[in-house]
Amino acid sequence: MTPNEKIVALLLLLQAVSAFFLWTLDALGAVSEGKFAVFLAVDLLAFTLTAYVYTHEKWGEATSRVWILAGSLGLMILLFVGLYFP
Amino acid sequence: MLYYVPSPAAAFQSTKYIFQSVYYGRFLETIHLYTAYAMIMLAFMHMMRGYFVSVHKKPREMMWLVGMIMGFVTLGFGFTGYLLPWTVVSKSATDVGIGMIDALPAQISSFISFLIVGAGGDATELLRFYDLHVVVLPAVLLVLLTAKMFMLETHGIAEPPAASSQKEDGMTLPIFPDVTVYLLGLAAMFGSAMLLISVILPLNLPPEYTPQLAAQYTPQPDWYFLWIYQILKIQIFEGGGLPIALSLVAILFLALFLLPFIDRGNQRRILNRAKFVTIGLILVAELLVLTYWGLITPGQVISTENALLVLAGTAVLVAAVSLGAYSFLRGRGKRGGLAISSTAKRTSFMLRTGAALVVFIAVGSLSIGSSLNGSVSLILNGENQFGFLRLVLSLISLGIMFLGAAFFIYRLELRSGSVKRRIPFFEVGWTTNDAQ
Repeated sequence: MTPNEKIVALLLLLQAVSAFFLWTLDALGAVSEGKFAVFLAVDLLAFTLTAYVYTHEKWGEATSRVWILAGSLGLMILLFVGLYFP
Repeated sequence: MLYYVPSPAAAFQSTKYIFQSVYYGRFLETIHLYTAYAMIMLAFMHMMRGYFVSVHKKPREMMWLVGMIMGFVTLGFGFTGYLLPWTVVSKSATDVGIGMIDALPAQISSFISFLIVGAGGDATELLRFYDLHVVVLPAVLLVLLTAKMFMLETHGIAEPPAASSQKEDGMTLPIFPDVTVYLLGLAAMFGSAMLLISVILPLNLPPEYTPQLAAQYTPQPDWYFLWIYQILKIQIFEGGGLPIALSLVAILFLALFLLPFIDRGNQRRILNRAKFVTIGLILVAELLVLTYWGLITPGQVISTENALLVLAGTAVLVAAVSLGAYSFLRGRGKRGGLAISSTAKRTSFMLRTGAALVVFIAVGSLSIGSSLNGSVSLILNGENQFGFLRLVLSLISLGIMFLGAAFFIYRLELRSGSVKRRIPFFEVGWTTNDAQ
């Protein structure tokens, strides 16, 4: 696997985990809207990074480590915020 | 639309129900508001970016016109949607907006009133706004978007001049999956940002509108109309001066709308469009200043002198910075091998001419204010010799400043070699040394 393929695999895994958390939220109960928004944001941000890697790979352009690291850091922070959101 | 009831008696209660009882209701309302704000902000940024990089030039004039109409429709979305929750904030601000329509010429005001207020009364008004917001404006926007996409397919994207000159021959990207995935990625990033902002700043519903509560409240429009609100609060535009203020705003919109027919030069590079870029920068700066000023002075009438000082000062400052930057960049451009010639003498000439132009623009701005003041005084107070004399002097001063500014702009253009139609009168004293 190339480094980009490994990154995409991790991002897809993260999207699956985040989607699972979204699925577990009880939409008919008194669920925190904030928690829902944060996990959805994680899903969307992970998709953004996946699209970034995919398009750059396909167009033969180098992906920026700074963007990937910043995106990954943002995703980690959001995951923790989502897990501990009141 | 499943829960909202567009009637004065039920609008607020149904909105409150969505907030408090519908699952994810408050979240949806919040994200609806912030994405609407983002839509207006991004539309404005898109327009200004187009203005600066000259996307309005041939063959894309119609795309600019359609885009401008889409911008007006977007503002229409904001105006009509603001009323729907029927809160004291939204109803009071909308009433002020509708009140301004009466200051327009009779035919126009009666047509607009018929369109948005109907036979009169709160019930009709709210229903019309609701219909416009959820049916008419989306349909109009869809038609305009289709037309613009069709024109985009025909003419292609207006790339920056540098990019188009470096474009590789025959390099195109397929719409699917390449462009689609790229756009979906951007959309996901935008959606993610909106979700997080909604979490950080959840919306709170203001109190319900009642005439008693509205009497205690200072009406203020939403942020995207604050600059107009601030112009209307300037002392000379109070009362009888309202039509003049509205005419000025209308002229600004009209000038932006007709930009492809005003800015007709072939130059698309920002470096070669000092005049229009400076005007654009002044416009953005004035809008920001007026918006912030409107925000911090709700309901306060602004004295004409203060308004002139702030607005003319902003214009002068921005013009000075912009023209100074142009002089500097043109100087560097020569040394950096760009297609802009420069020498020390030339830079000095540009700086002197630019400085003179800034002074003329500044005095011209004050003359505009003084002429307006004189006109309004004459209209309100009737004929008097002093007022008439002051108006004549202001107009003469304005004319001199206008001619002076045109003279210096012409000489700047002459220096850069981009003058198309020669005006011998403006070349008095021009020697070949100046052209070096």
